[in-house]
Amino acid sequence: MRKLLDFLIGKRHWFLFLLLETVSFVLIYRNNSYQQSVMLSTANTVTANIVSLTGSVTSYINLREENRRLIERNGQLEIERLRLQRQIETMIADTASFHNYVADPVRLFPYDVIVAKVVNNSVTYLSNYITINKGSDDGLSPDMGVISEGGVVGIVSTVSDHYAVVIPLLNPKFRLSCKVLGSSYFGSMSWDGRSTRYAKLDELPRHVEFNVGDTIVTSGFSAIFPEGIMVGNVSSFEKQRDDNFYSLTVRLTTDFHRLGTVMVIRNFQQNEQIQIEQEAKSND
Amino acid sequence: MINTIRSLIYFVILVLTQVLVLNNIHFLRLMTPFLYIYFIIKLSVGHSSVQTTFLSFLLGITIDILSNTSGMHAAACTLVGFARPFVIRIFMREDLPENLIPSYKTFGYGGFIRFTLLLVILHHVCLFLLESLSLFDPLFLTIRILAGIILTSLLICMVEAFNRESRRYED
Repeated sequence: MRKLLDFLIGKRHWFLFLLLETVSFVLIYRNNSYQQSVMLSTANTVTANIVSLTGSVTSYINLREENRRLIERNGQLEIERLRLQRQIETMIADTASFHNYVADPVRLFPYDVIVAKVVNNSVTYLSNYITINKGSDDGLSPDMGVISEGGVVGIVSTVSDHYAVVIPLLNPKFRLSCKVLGSSYFGSMSWDGRSTRYAKLDELPRHVEFNVGDTIVTSGFSAIFPEGIMVGNVSSFEKQRDDNFYSLTVRLTTDFHRLGTVMVIRNFQQNEQIQIEQEAKSND
Repeated sequence: MINTIRSLIYFVILVLTQVLVLNNIHFLRLMTPFLYIYFIIKLSVGHSSVQTTFLSFLLGITIDILSNTSGMHAAACTLVGFARPFVIRIFMREDLPENLIPSYKTFGYGGFIRFTLLLVILHHVCLFLLESLSLFDPLFLTIRILAGIILTSLLICMVEAFNRESRRYED
């Protein structure tokens, strides 16, 4: 007995080593599920305050560039608004009872945005994460879409009171249903872990017609993003091995290296859609 | 006591440097230096296996929490901390004084660089293999490991050359 105890005490560094490695692997395994724990991520207020130190410094450096892009975007939106207004005016002039055709605006477009600042951003890992400075107190909850003025950024995964962690497109966990603008066939977008400027769009049926340079937008099937949000442009394509699908390389329009301000999309009907989809699945 | 404060200062400075500055570096869109394992290298030789393993784990888990990579750095650091006493025993056959701290002076240039290189290799191979659990890409993985090892070891050797503390020990 004494010898056994001596042996165990003599080898205690082995036991500690194995114990700590087990703890690490449990954490890795848990992290591979979609949602992380708030304590062990930068959604936590203490850690978010530490990591936002660089964010608060670099945000000033990027202000000029960000301002330019916002003004540019503002101009585009103004033109778009005028065009739509003209269209509506013509419709009102042409149609005797126009107001009967207009549905309730919330049912037609049940989305709202919450503006947030990026306080921490990583592009160097395979599984990257972004921390933003809005949390459940501002109305955020997991599974909300995040966009920037360039296009799709990611999906909210972990939320604390004042901060949230976003899974960006640059993370193998992220999948997004996308389509070529103008067609209605959709494929699945994912990141291959290499360049931060490109992502892959797989499972696009072979009879879809498109050209290099065409715009890729969200399909709107997921209840997270509305239809038609910019994702990127087709940069090259190839046939997949089984020959029935195309695999497209897409040049992303979002520059993940300098994200400053992002918008979180709130979908008022998301719960309803998810609930009915789950009901349909459980009925199978 | 002085030793504890010294380690604490190293810990805080290296963790903050890693999280606030180096994590944002993506040299050639390929390499990120992981300078923080300099803390494990600069622990004094007198620490037992249990102590170095535990301290390394603490270092790894701190980095993990601050960069949303729960577990990866902790696992890699624990391995490095556990292996450190064995590595020292392999390189330095004669008995070393308890409070000796690895540096160019105490280990010799070749000795220190070999010591650093071995720990960095161990750390990077473990870290990137764990990272590739989420997406396996063998060619890119190999390039990333090699590039990372070169960048991190170079950075550690440079920081060591400018470290005032190591020079004070020469007197």
